[in-house]
Amino acid sequence: MAKILEGPAMKLFNKWGIPVPNYVVIMDPDRLAQLGEANKWLRESKLVVKAHEAIGGRFKLGLVKLGLNLDGAVQAAKEMIGREIGTSVVRQVIVAEMLDHDEEYYLSIAGNRDGTELLLSNKGGVDIEDNWDTVKHLFIPIDETPSIERITEAALEAGFIGEVAERVAKIASRLILCFDNEDAQSIEINPLVIRKSDMRFAALDAVMNVDWDARFRHADWDFKPVSEIGRPFTEAEQQIMDIDARIKGSVKLVEVPGGNIALLTAGGGASVFYSDAVVARGGSIANYAEYSGDPPDWAVEALTVTICKLPNIKHIIVGGAIANFTDVKATFNGIINGFRQSKSKGYLENVKIWVRRGGPNENLGLAAMKKLQEEGFDIHVYDRSMPMTDIVDLALNS
Amino acid sequence: MSILANRDTRAVIIGGVAGLNAAKRMAQFDFLINRPLTVQAFVYPPEEGQQKEIYRGGELNNVTVYSSLNKAVEENPEINTALIYIGASRAYQSAKEALDSKGIKLVTMITEGVPEKDAKRLRKYALEKGKIFNGPSSIGIMSAGECRLGVIGGEYKNLKLCNLYRPGSFGVITKSGGLSNEAMWLCAQNGDGITSAVAIGGDSYPGTDFVTYLNMFENDPDTKAVVIVGEVGGTLEEEAAEWLGKEIRRIKVIASIGGTCQDVLPQGMKFGHAGAKEGKKGLGSARSKISALRAAGAVVPETFGGLSKAIKEVYQELLKSGVIKPEAELDEKLLPTLPPSVQEVMKQGEVIVEPLIRTTISDDRGEEPRYVGYAASELCEKGYGIEDVIALLWNKKLPSREESEIIKRIIMISADHGPAVSGAFGSIIAACAGIDLPQAVSAGMTMIGPRFGGAVTNAGKYFKYGVKEYPNDIPGFLNWMKQNVGPVPGIGHRVKSLKNPDKRVKYLVEYVKGKTTLHTPCLDYALEVEKITTSKKDNLILNVDGTIGCILVDLDFSEYSLNGFFVLARTIGMIGHWIDQNNQNARLIRLYDYLINYAVKEEREVPEKR
Repeated sequence: MAKILEGPAMKLFNKWGIPVPNYVVIMDPDRLAQLGEANKWLRESKLVVKAHEAIGGRFKLGLVKLGLNLDGAVQAAKEMIGREIGTSVVRQVIVAEMLDHDEEYYLSIAGNRDGTELLLSNKGGVDIEDNWDTVKHLFIPIDETPSIERITEAALEAGFIGEVAERVAKIASRLILCFDNEDAQSIEINPLVIRKSDMRFAALDAVMNVDWDARFRHADWDFKPVSEIGRPFTEAEQQIMDIDARIKGSVKLVEVPGGNIALLTAGGGASVFYSDAVVARGGSIANYAEYSGDPPDWAVEALTVTICKLPNIKHIIVGGAIANFTDVKATFNGIINGFRQSKSKGYLENVKIWVRRGGPNENLGLAAMKKLQEEGFDIHVYDRSMPMTDIVDLALNS
Repeated sequence: MSILANRDTRAVIIGGVAGLNAAKRMAQFDFLINRPLTVQAFVYPPEEGQQKEIYRGGELNNVTVYSSLNKAVEENPEINTALIYIGASRAYQSAKEALDSKGIKLVTMITEGVPEKDAKRLRKYALEKGKIFNGPSSIGIMSAGECRLGVIGGEYKNLKLCNLYRPGSFGVITKSGGLSNEAMWLCAQNGDGITSAVAIGGDSYPGTDFVTYLNMFENDPDTKAVVIVGEVGGTLEEEAAEWLGKEIRRIKVIASIGGTCQDVLPQGMKFGHAGAKEGKKGLGSARSKISALRAAGAVVPETFGGLSKAIKEVYQELLKSGVIKPEAELDEKLLPTLPPSVQEVMKQGEVIVEPLIRTTISDDRGEEPRYVGYAASELCEKGYGIEDVIALLWNKKLPSREESEIIKRIIMISADHGPAVSGAFGSIIAACAGIDLPQAVSAGMTMIGPRFGGAVTNAGKYFKYGVKEYPNDIPGFLNWMKQNVGPVPGIGHRVKSLKNPDKRVKYLVEYVKGKTTLHTPCLDYALEVEKITTSKKDNLILNVDGTIGCILVDLDFSEYSLNGFFVLARTIGMIGHWIDQNNQNARLIRLYDYLINYAVKEEREVPEKR
């Protein structure tokens, strides 16, 4: 799942003929003034300025300003750009035409196992949740494209009438094309607005997710997906992501502020069960981490060093299932080096380390880990005969 | 019994090196249970026609790489299973071809990062064809005692520890690959092992689902219980619960569902698997899955660690009720041991291998080359030069500063002798003919022999002999040479003479004798010999080969190494000539007619062939 920002989404809408308001994305407020000289709509329309960043609750943070003229927009852009929100900085704003409109509609499309589902409602806008019962669903099986008549029928059933129903169906058919051809996972347009005087439609706000795994067949995807964790990535998370992008196998990290049990766990499946075990036993995790696919030892070492730096941790859970092909000795070497390095820098004081693992070269890997006891580490090492997540119980009961 | 894979399974692997590694692991399992090789062919166009070496125990098999699936199945018609190991961008096409192939009933894909749309289409396509598409992101399928597809089960030792050499009573279905292995271990540790284990992959839209395989297990009489490891996201676990609750099922279901921690974690947080994400309004949450499964009668422990106990209890119950009849444990010692590689055996000191070659000068096994024990970089750091490396590699000892200064001068003085001499001329002719550097230089090198440059070794050798056998008897030495060897190597020059001495010889002799403290018995002897030979003929002087040979003998270099100095030094010159000719873009040359005396027969008619 990869959420993309409004700018790139608008660009893709344009490509597939879905009406969008006029908009520009800028980094420099002075550039907006210059664009105003070149574009009539910037001078004559009411404008909306929004921070073009993956920041939740932008409206409350004052990062959305409505109903501005060009001067007001330049001023708003100046105020927004450079603002720091938590760990992220506003670097771009999107300035769009605020279309005067008569009605707000809802249009969305999302994939499921058997195909896609198109949702239509003539009661869009902020109240859509309250009107969820009125939303018309149209299921589209894999590899099928519904006829314009079929979509129009669905629009009529959703309560659209006459020419509006036809136009909405037309937009919906283009939305289906866009969804299908851009490897989208979901697109939600809310609201889709109409100005009845000239029957002009525009997707005023949109949330789009694309399948980042499909990027190999989209030469024109010049954007990057935004953080999927509801907040910007931290520096440490970004560093691990950069390593992840370079290696065979993978390393992953998400920080969870406030927790005191750090996870240094292996495997996409097992790592989740370790998090669960901590939560189930009333503990709080300081992070979620995972390495898998036999990553190089230096990558695991970097992950280890990062995790050792997490504030206020009391335990580190070095857990994992019995690996199929990840070399336990090699990846443990990375972890051991990471521990040594961290200890020499003053980390890991009063931190207990709990290890459980199996897989290729497990005996050598576990023995090397156990030897850390001689170097003064508070480390407890268990082999495959210890039930996988029971080291979490041991840690929390210690 | 088993599901999906059995002793009749014959597989083709589509993909490159990862597929080859899987084939090797699969052959280890084939060896363990003594079945024929599972992998019959590879499909990987870049390596078309190659044979891949696969060991089944100690038996070496060659498995062919084909450029297309059609060719592979044409030549190996018994293939009924395809394993997709190719990259995400080509995975869809490969899997579709496999599903189109008549004899192939099962396609399982390990490829990660396959676009969702592709996976969805493959699932639909397989359903339409009545075939199974397992994956993407699946570690594979294991049927104990029957067949292994993929690297599932890990290393050889683990196959034994998990009792995978013989069937048990538990089925395993997981999304995660690592946990499929863990679950197989838990079934062996707390029960009697598995019948089959399937990893369906952790993507958003796997090609198959828990229900498909639950039905298969339900119809497999040997499977008495099934362990499911699921996780947050999608509705496959809910569907499994619905299946279980719908009617009375023969098999027991034990489950563990990952992702309950999401209740307390930041919303939208990403887990290891693409499919592990909660839908709107709690749909697909781990909690909803657990409740549904429990309500349907599945045993679902609080944590994954609780699975051990749950499996044990179900196993004891099934034993008690007589559904599972206890079988005598196989003595693990009866199981074959994987033949170790020669390297492994040698490490353990259990075999003697006669080495093919022996070296006493150089070792490349560490982080950097070592010359007679010294690290190259350390030599550089401590101020040694190329002359010291020559002495190390040719004579196995570090020379003194004085000695290395002499060696350096010998190289410098011999580096080139103009374009006219045989070696340089040979290289130049080759360069003009457009020949590349190594071949052109070796053309010049070919000239080094008895008449050009090759006298250093023999000069050193015989003067050394003289010093030893005729120390104070130069006439006796010359007499011995005349009778046994011929002209004295290192004596005589075509152009130079007493009156027209060779400056190089003069310089070297003066330097060694005047500016160093080197003891020079051989050089002194040769100079004495020169006195006698020049008295007979003016040009029978000690030439440069002779001088160098004697000095090198005095430096304690072995006879074999002496010519090496000329070869090495002159290589510098010959490379120079080659570069020079190329820089000038020199044209092809040939001898002018007037430089050749055509001492040939007159033109005449060829007689009829008899």
